[in-house]
Amino acid sequence: MRKELPLLLTVLMALLVIFSYYSFHLNKLDILGTTDKWVTISMTAAVLIGTINLTRVQATNVIRRKEGWYNSLILLIVLYGYMILGLIQGLKGAQYDWLFQNVWVNCDSSMFSILAFYIASAAYRAFRVRSKEATVLLVAGIIVMLGNVPLGNLLWNQIPLVRNWIMEVGNAAPMRGILLGAYIGAFAVALRILLGIERAHLGGGN
Amino acid sequence: MQIFKDASVSQFWIMLVFCTIVYVMIRRAKAGMKVPPIRKINGLEAIDEAIGRATEMGRPVHATPGLGDISSSETFAFWGILGHVAKLCAKYDTRLIQTNRDEYIYAINEEIIKQAYLEAGRPDAFNPDDVRYISGWQFAYATAVLGIFQREKVAANIMIGYFYAESLIFAEGGYQAGAIQIAGTTSTFQLPFFIAACDYVLIGEEIYAASAYISKDPVLVGSVIGQDWGKIAVFAFIIVGTILANVQAQGNWLKDILSK
Repeated sequence: MRKELPLLLTVLMALLVIFSYYSFHLNKLDILGTTDKWVTISMTAAVLIGTINLTRVQATNVIRRKEGWYNSLILLIVLYGYMILGLIQGLKGAQYDWLFQNVWVNCDSSMFSILAFYIASAAYRAFRVRSKEATVLLVAGIIVMLGNVPLGNLLWNQIPLVRNWIMEVGNAAPMRGILLGAYIGAFAVALRILLGIERAHLGGGN
Repeated sequence: MQIFKDASVSQFWIMLVFCTIVYVMIRRAKAGMKVPPIRKINGLEAIDEAIGRATEMGRPVHATPGLGDISSSETFAFWGILGHVAKLCAKYDTRLIQTNRDEYIYAINEEIIKQAYLEAGRPDAFNPDDVRYISGWQFAYATAVLGIFQREKVAANIMIGYFYAESLIFAEGGYQAGAIQIAGTTSTFQLPFFIAACDYVLIGEEIYAASAYISKDPVLVGSVIGQDWGKIAVFAFIIVGTILANVQAQGNWLKDILSK
């Protein structure tokens, strides 16, 4: 029953959702809207599971005085302190909002900005001329970069056109091919789950 | 009497045709008829090599499904690989650190890994603290994963799923930690980052073939063959549609049918 019950529930819900989407009459009943609400409710409950795991892992670090245990302690203080502050003040509370705008937003933006440096280091490795493919990548990359800045137009006024052709033809065609294959692959996965063949998500491989 | 919702008739029939193709291939495989093998996929072959390297170095393996949620087909593709990775890690006594940004996926991953350790005969080696929920926020998750890479010095980094801007943060972080990296996604925006920064990349649909490729189960392989036939049918539609769009001056019966 450990695997059969989840499989049965999956098949029943999948069929309900599929027919609700296509059927004129079932669509009027707004079954999809109802199931969306169920998902939202269960997701709220799942937050608790995540919080318990986070607390257990970080508390273990603190109790066992593992390397960098003070970071875990800070995390726990912030996690529960901010949660309590939110419960007392609500989402529009002055201190609650101040901490979000002046701490959280800045930390998030800092991490996002690190991407610029990572792009530079990844591009350096990718553009090193080691093979014919890397050479094509290097040439295409230089044209696209030059096409995006005024300098490219200054060097040769056709560069923006070449850049557009690379992006809209050379780049878009394989991207669409990859996406088509991916959509059909996703469809086959859905069918495998519906037929109970794909059971990896139930544990113990297939 | 109206049966179908407006503008969904053609979608329904297309879905039914695809279902039939895949189902026929699965039935053929079940009946023991010959099923063509799946071509060699280097990224999947490299999983064993990556875990073997981590074992030799005595360092952990990290696995992430990215930012996809429980309804993402990419997450199901990750699950197809996770059981195999966990079994190998249990067999070789290599530590597996699995991080998550979704509470649902975390709970399922924990079960999959626990079951894999049980099947490998090493239930005692399973450490629940190594399956971690980090944060639902993208960059908070990315920051924590970077920290894990640096502190734990992971030797192998497996990233299969749906990724957003954090893809390159993970890939570069893994590179700096000296990890062998295997990535796979259907996101065409993140694929170039993975190709630039990772050792092996599963491109698009290759991630969906993982469970069939790893298990070698003829029924699963049959469904992948069905998937390929579906792809051939779509490309035939594209070619016919392109010809009709160029030949017919007005109206296009194929477009009209598919618009209904």
